[in-house]
Amino acid sequence: MTAPVGLMRDDDVRDALDRARALADTGDATGALHLAFRAIDADATLATWLAAAGVARRCLPAADLPRSARVAVLGSYTTTQFAALLPVAAARAGVAVEVYEAGYDQYQREILDPGSGLYRFHPDIVVLAVHHGTVSLPARPADPAAADAAVDAEVERFRGLWDALATRCEARVVQHTVAIPADVALGHVAARLPTSRLAMLRRFNAALGRAAGSTVAVVDCERLAALVGAESWFDARYWHRAKQAVSLGCVPLLARHTGAVIAGLLGRGRKCLVLDLDNTLWGGVLGEDGLTGIALGAGPVGEAFTAFQEYVLELQERGVVLAVCSKNNRADALEAFARHPDMRLRTEDIAVLSAGWDDKPTQIRDIAETLHLGLDALVFVDDNPAERAIVRRMLPEVDVVELPEDPHGYVRALASYPYFETGAITAVDRSRTAQYQALARAAELRGDAGDLDAFLRDLDMTATVVPLDELTIPRVTQLINKTNQFNVTGRRRGEPEVRTLAADPDVLTVCVRLTDRFGDHGLVGVLAARVSGPMVDIDTWLLSCRVIGRSLEDEMLGLLVEAARQRGARTLRGTYHPSPKNGLVADLYPRLGFERTGEDEAPSTTWRLALDQAKPPPGFIRLAPTP
Amino acid sequence: MTVESRLLEIFRSVFANDHLVIHDSTTAGDVPGWDSLAHINLMFSIENEFGVRFTDDQLMSFADVGELRRFLESRTQVA
Repeated sequence: MTAPVGLMRDDDVRDALDRARALADTGDATGALHLAFRAIDADATLATWLAAAGVARRCLPAADLPRSARVAVLGSYTTTQFAALLPVAAARAGVAVEVYEAGYDQYQREILDPGSGLYRFHPDIVVLAVHHGTVSLPARPADPAAADAAVDAEVERFRGLWDALATRCEARVVQHTVAIPADVALGHVAARLPTSRLAMLRRFNAALGRAAGSTVAVVDCERLAALVGAESWFDARYWHRAKQAVSLGCVPLLARHTGAVIAGLLGRGRKCLVLDLDNTLWGGVLGEDGLTGIALGAGPVGEAFTAFQEYVLELQERGVVLAVCSKNNRADALEAFARHPDMRLRTEDIAVLSAGWDDKPTQIRDIAETLHLGLDALVFVDDNPAERAIVRRMLPEVDVVELPEDPHGYVRALASYPYFETGAITAVDRSRTAQYQALARAAELRGDAGDLDAFLRDLDMTATVVPLDELTIPRVTQLINKTNQFNVTGRRRGEPEVRTLAADPDVLTVCVRLTDRFGDHGLVGVLAARVSGPMVDIDTWLLSCRVIGRSLEDEMLGLLVEAARQRGARTLRGTYHPSPKNGLVADLYPRLGFERTGEDEAPSTTWRLALDQAKPPPGFIRLAPTP
Repeated sequence: MTVESRLLEIFRSVFANDHLVIHDSTTAGDVPGWDSLAHINLMFSIENEFGVRFTDDQLMSFADVGELRRFLESRTQVA
């Protein structure tokens, strides 16, 4: 489905993976990685990429890649698969990365909180993996000006995040644009209405790219989604089930391109395209068919080769150095460039023209030496599978693009090769970008996203306390049994036990739903505590990972304190039971003003809060009356 | 290839473990790393390989590998 870099049959992909694992077992990390890269070049299915990611996990520590980087993935949706595939994708592009993945939808909080895990990680690269749902736009703007203002405000929000990152760390930013859903109730009218969400999202992407300019790198998810089709990119089932905004079938493609852009930022983009001539730049064999016999320009086949030359020329204009590597008489090759009326490429476009009878690996080595480039800066394109195979075998550092047999497919084959990305752009491009940036700066007069408090206020959150009853018991049971991160006691309970808790008059419960300007998160917080005289013991306290970092726990504590006071209690007591996954709440009690009691039963710790010492919650969340 | 061997191939890919062995009686508890995330990766990859779409109930309800295998065999015979 997703355009492969290399063409391989399924059996060959499987064989490459099998051999990669076998080589990994023997300790040949470089060889194993090379085969894993072959497999992911040829096949973009999740299973193949997960298998290759497994090989990369084992082999990367022993492999010697040209660059390494610490990469933080901050997302607005479930980025776990993306983060898991990024190391193999980046390694394919020549960069060994260590990945930090922020929690679900924590990208703003992590950036705005100077004490967040993001900054402790000291990233070199921050990937902002966001989706259309995080773009906050009014449902029905009053007029086009209101729509424009809303779009500008969202772009400014992102610019504020980039600025906040720039002041707090040295990391370069890789920003994803948002793929745009094609299921549009307005139909074709949406394209005509500047106030439609479709039109606003298109404007958002364009303005975001413009704001990014030369300082922020972009992975254009709108284009990637167009490449595979919105019906492939979006999968409602996995969104509803796992908050996967990118279909699992498309995550490999997204990882591949993000890896390529990261490599480009670090100067690891490929720099030189080495081209065969016969049946690659024109149809037929020059030495046999003669200058007038080759297919170029006229007729459908000739047009295919002309289109390919025009595409190559565009690569040259973006800074890719061109070289020719051909088995031909040099004089014949030069004559074709000089005299064929339909040649789009001219000799002055070609940095090195190597035509002769040496084998191609030898010619390619000479090209690299002439250009003072490493072999790992070269990409080889040849219609002949045998030449591709020998270059691949003799010069494993050179990337070899698989061309299909049909020349009409050449442009797409080369276009889906993503490793020409560059971080820097040419001087001309830079001055053009600077002009756009001057225009964009004018919009900056509006305030930026600012600090964490402002962010929390801006979320416009409302919490509603709901009773623990027949309606909520199934959801509460589910939370109790699947929440790992924000779960202080780690206690699991079945539905009958939860029912018993609900019926016990000495158990105080605080179950909360949360809404914000992006929507309704549902029932996401559970706090249960048992009253025994003046003491109230916290039995269970957990938050769904989608609302971590929102200060909801502070509000829940406030509610429990109030309820405990009404029962005439004087002290709250809580225990923290550490698990492999709940380090997040290790400092929850002290942060909220609790003091260590010394009643610990290792590894648990026990904490107390005198009710008359409890501080009021910060008030970022409005409390709605219980329905 | 049989349904069984295609399933094994997917399991080995998803869990990145080419020594993994599965039986009809295998359940999530028997395979290291088979958590909710791996489950989603697994079910998606099976859908992809066999060209089927599980219902919401099926996504969570196969009791063991045998039940999954029998379901896939019934589907591939129809097709």
